[in-house]
Formats: sequence, structure tokens, C-alpha cells
Amino acid sequence: MEPREHPTLEGRLHPLAVLVIARRFIGASLIPLAALLVSLGTRVLVPLLLAVVLLGVPLAVLSWWRFRYRVGAGRLELRSGVLSRSVRTIPLDRIRGVDVSEPFVHRLLGLVKVEVEAAAGGGSKAELSLAAVSRAQANALRAVLLGAGAAAARGPAVLHRAGPQLLALGGVTSLRYLVAPLAIVGVGLNLADDLPGGFVERAGDAAIDLLPTDALGIAVLAAGTIVLVLAIGAAGSLLVDWNFTLTDDRERLTASRGLLTRRIVTIDRNRIRGADVGDTPLRRIFRLVSITAIVAGLRGRTGGTTLAPVLPADETHGLLQVVDPAAPDPVAPLARHPRAARRRRLQRAIALPALAVLAAAALRSPWGVAGAVVLAGLAVVLALDRYRQLGHGFDGSRLVLRSGSLRRRWSELDPAGVVAFELRSSPAQRRSGLCTLVVHLGQGAGSRRALDAGELQAAGLLAGLHPRLLEPLLERSSSPQLERASSSIAAE
Amino acid sequence: MPAPQGAILRPPAQALAPRVRAMWATTSLLASVGATAATVATVLVLASSDESTAAWIAGCTGALLSLAMLASAALRVTVEYRNYRYEVTELGLYVSSGWLWRRWQIVPHSRVQTVDTRAGPLHRLFGLVAVQVATASAAGSTAIPGLSVPAAAELVEELARRAELDEGT
Repeated sequence: MEPREHPTLEGRLHPLAVLVIARRFIGASLIPLAALLVSLGTRVLVPLLLAVVLLGVPLAVLSWWRFRYRVGAGRLELRSGVLSRSVRTIPLDRIRGVDVSEPFVHRLLGLVKVEVEAAAGGGSKAELSLAAVSRAQANALRAVLLGAGAAAARGPAVLHRAGPQLLALGGVTSLRYLVAPLAIVGVGLNLADDLPGGFVERAGDAAIDLLPTDALGIAVLAAGTIVLVLAIGAAGSLLVDWNFTLTDDRERLTASRGLLTRRIVTIDRNRIRGADVGDTPLRRIFRLVSITAIVAGLRGRTGGTTLAPVLPADETHGLLQVVDPAAPDPVAPLARHPRAARRRRLQRAIALPALAVLAAAALRSPWGVAGAVVLAGLAVVLALDRYRQLGHGFDGSRLVLRSGSLRRRWSELDPAGVVAFELRSSPAQRRSGLCTLVVHLGQGAGSRRALDAGELQAAGLLAGLHPRLLEPLLERSSSPQLERASSSIAAE
Repeated sequence: MPAPQGAILRPPAQALAPRVRAMWATTSLLASVGATAATVATVLVLASSDESTAAWIAGCTGALLSLAMLASAALRVTVEYRNYRYEVTELGLYVSSGWLWRRWQIVPHSRVQTVDTRAGPLHRLFGLVAVQVATASAAGSTAIPGLSVPAAAELVEELARRAELDEGT
């Protein structure tokens, strides 16, 4: 790598950062303060507040004064500390990305928060953040830290921008909100025992008294509930992903999003190992998907690598190819897994509902039996779809894996990014000639697997993914059959 | 289609140190002895306080638990020992393990981050060393639970050389 020339940059946090720091100090002391208030009574309120202000504000000012950053001589230095001083030095070539976010308070003050992603070598994952700087400072820092001066001059290209209608539709079809009511019910049931005076029971009874009993009332209530749930789904998506924009300056991808808190995430293109394309049954009807980059070397941060929260399915391949020129088309047919895999999906899906049917029959509850039978039917439909979605493929440069039904995931990845290969086989899988192939991708990128692949299919994949490493390990007896298997995979 | 029945990968060349069986047996035996002692104590206490039904239940549960531990020990020293194998190939480390739920792991040398050796009190008693090989992925890391001291030293040396690591990291 040729040495890049980095200009020197030095500075402090924005003066208004004092407010942000003070808020953090005061926030940290709120609980002990509340405890003091409760134990000593309200007459200590004024002295306490005075103490907080007299201690907290000077501390925040001092902390702001001591914090300095400096970029130069190929490294970033952060000096900080009121009582104990610290200087943290990070070589610039270890910096993986710079995240700029705008928490709500920052937005009010016109400031941004900068977090530096450094390669986590070994185990020390130091957090490198600048609590509050002006937007101009953040841009200068980003340009210097990432050496993006030349790229910025060329102007980044917008790869994808999600408008409000698309985001609202994406929120409605994400089905994520279906999980939330379950969580609320769970919390409610837990609270039922803890709240005094049978509060939850009484609230429940009152709610039941208010429920309409005639057909029209029930229909109105049901329709109202559905509209409300969909509205919440759409609103959540709009709030988090408002004006989602993905730009490309050829070295890095930058994704920015959010209505109240605006987040900007930068992804080094060299670290992209592949991409996940996800959808739900509802999204399949509307032909929508979401795309996430598989990025190695980033700390696990949920949603940090989203390339598109919602995207029309026809545009998927185009966007994938900009990110990874070798990306296969997600609609290209994949190698199906053997019929035995379908039997396994069915067996696994039917076991629990079958038990429920038996239990309901034993209790002589016709409604219970009917409910359990419906449940069993749904489980079978789901299992059949889960089997239908199972698939894999390898075109010589990218491994493709697909699985899941309610949350279907299609992944394409570069075998060069695989950190470890693993083959698993349970007794039931061995009886049916199946096994599961797992590829581990390392730090933050997780693992992807081919569930219940045929043994010959798995052998073919292994031989193709890394021939020099894996072919010598294959059992000789499966080699002649393998020739056929791999040629049939190549033909697809 | 004729399936090769769970054997698409050949077994790795090298077995663990034979003494690891003695170590596993000792561990399980100690646990079993502990469970038996606890059972006997519980039964005696319950019997002395005229809780004969409870004493029977506790005694039977405890006995079953101890027997299960012995049975698992027997399986470990036979089947698990047979299936737990490793091999350093030209390009990677290859480890197989498991009895019912079998696992084959292959880690390319270039992906190895650290090679750790550990010897607990029991390991030292039997002159054994456990080797752990870590990659950037926690799930993709692997371990070889019992090697003789020279075999472990040789393995670490070879892995370090192949991964172009400095010694001692």
C-alpha cells in the first residue's frame, strides 16, 4: 500500500459540547440523587441541585477543556481525562470507518457525535468517540481520517434513496410489529402478579366489559385494530429509516437515515464479504426486499450495515452489483435440497402441534382440538414453504445460500472471506443422507449455513469452495459420485 | 440416490493422546462419586426423619444420576475418543468430534489468530495439554482437548509456523 499523505488536523469538541457532557454527568448522578431525595425529603432539594450544578458544570467544562484530538503523522490522538489523563493513539491504517450520528439533543444544538471504528485486533475494543462536534468539524475529520479528499472531490453517487411511501410500505410489510404485541402481552402477564390490588385483572375485566358483542361492533373493532397495527408499523419504519440514503464514493459506502436521530454509517468497500437479501411472505406479495452488507471486522452493531431497508425486488440485482460486481442474481434458480429435507421440516413442525391436539383431546375440549388442528395446519404450510425456500449454489466465485420463510434470507458471499468451514450431522440427518454445512465469516459477520443439504451436495460445495484445502479431506468413496454432483451444480 | 451415510469427509489422521481417556474417566468417576455421596447423605437424613417415601425417591433419582454419569463416561472413553481426531494439513487444521451430533471443522492456516495451550490440574496429573485455536469468529474457533506435552508443543509450533505467527503469541 502506498503511503497516503494526511494533513494535520487539531481541535477540541464544540463549546456547546459542555452541555452534552454536563447532561451525561447529571444523568449518571440522577439515581443516587433520587435515592437521597427519597431518604432525606424534599427540603434537601435546593442544596442538592446547587451541589450538582456547582460540581457538575465545572467538571463538564474541565472535561471539555482537557479533551483534544489531533490527526497527524499517520495517526489519530485523543487526549482526555480530568483526574487521570489518557492519550489514545490509533494508527490511521487501523481505522475502518467513521460513524456520524445526530442524537436528539445534538440536533437541537446543531452538533453531531463522531465514533471511530478501529480494527479490533486481539481483544481490546476501545470506544473512540467524540461526544459533540460541529458538522464542519465532523466532515473535516471524516475526510482526513478516511483519506477521502480525492473521493469527495469526485462527488459521491447516490445508489439508493428510500422515499416515504416506500418506507411506509416497508414498515407495514416487515412483520416486525407482530413480535411487539407478544412482548407486551408477556410483560402484562408478568406484571399481573406484581402490581397491587389485581390491577391488571381489573383492567382486563373493564376492557372485556367495553368490548362490543354485536357483529358490526366486532368487525369495526377488528378493522380498527388492524389499521392501528399497520399504522404503527409504518410509523416505526418512517422514524428509523426516514430519508434513507446510500451513497458511494468508490472506496466507501455511506448510509444515512433517521428522523429524530440521524445516523450516518460508513462502510469500507474492501471489507464487504457479501450481502444478505431478506424478505417476509408479505413483502414477497409486494415484491419488496431489504439488503444488508456482510462486513468483516466491524463490531456487532445491529442494523449498522443496512444497504437498503426496503427496495423493489427488481432493483436488487442492480444494487448488489454496484456493491459486489460478482454478485449473482437473487432470482436465479438454486440447487434444491433432497426430499428428505422436506420430511425433516415437516417432522419438526408437526411435533408440537400434534402434542397440543393430543393434550386438547385428553382434556375433552372441542375448541382446544379445533385450535390445535388449525395450528398444526399452519405449521405444515410453513414447513412446506421452509423446505421450498432451502437452496444453495456456487458459480465459481460466489456462494449463495437461501433459507427461512417468515424471515427468508438469501445470502451471497465470497468464499475468500470464510474464516472456518464446518460440517454438522445429527443421527436423524445421517439416516436421511443429509448434513448441514456452515461457513463462519468472522467478527461481526456471523455464520451462514446450508441447512439439510444432501451429503453429495455438501461434498460438491466443499470441493468447490476451497479445492486445495478441502478436496484432499473428502472421503474417496464419494469422489466418483462427486464428479457428477458438481457438474450438475455447475450446469444450474 | 445411494448416499455415503455421513462420511463425506475422511477421518483426520491423528488421535488424541490415549491418556485423555483416563482423564475423562477420572473426571466422570469423581463426579459420580460426588453424586453418590450426596445421594447417600440425603437418603440418611430423610430416613432418620421418617420420610421414607421421600428417601426412596431421592435414592432412586440419585442412583440413576450416578449410573448415567458412569454410562456417559463409558461412551466418552470409547466412542467420543474414537471420533475426536485432528490433523494439520498443508493448508489448514482439520478437527472432527462428536458422537451422535458429529462435527467436522476446517480452519485455513491463514485464518488462525491465536493458538493457546492450557493445562489444568487434572491435565497436569495425566501429563496432558489442551490446545485452543481461535479465529476471528468465536463460532469458527476450535479446540483439541487432550494431547501429550510433546505432541502439543509440536502442534503449536507447526500451526504457528504455518500461520506465520511469532512464537509465544
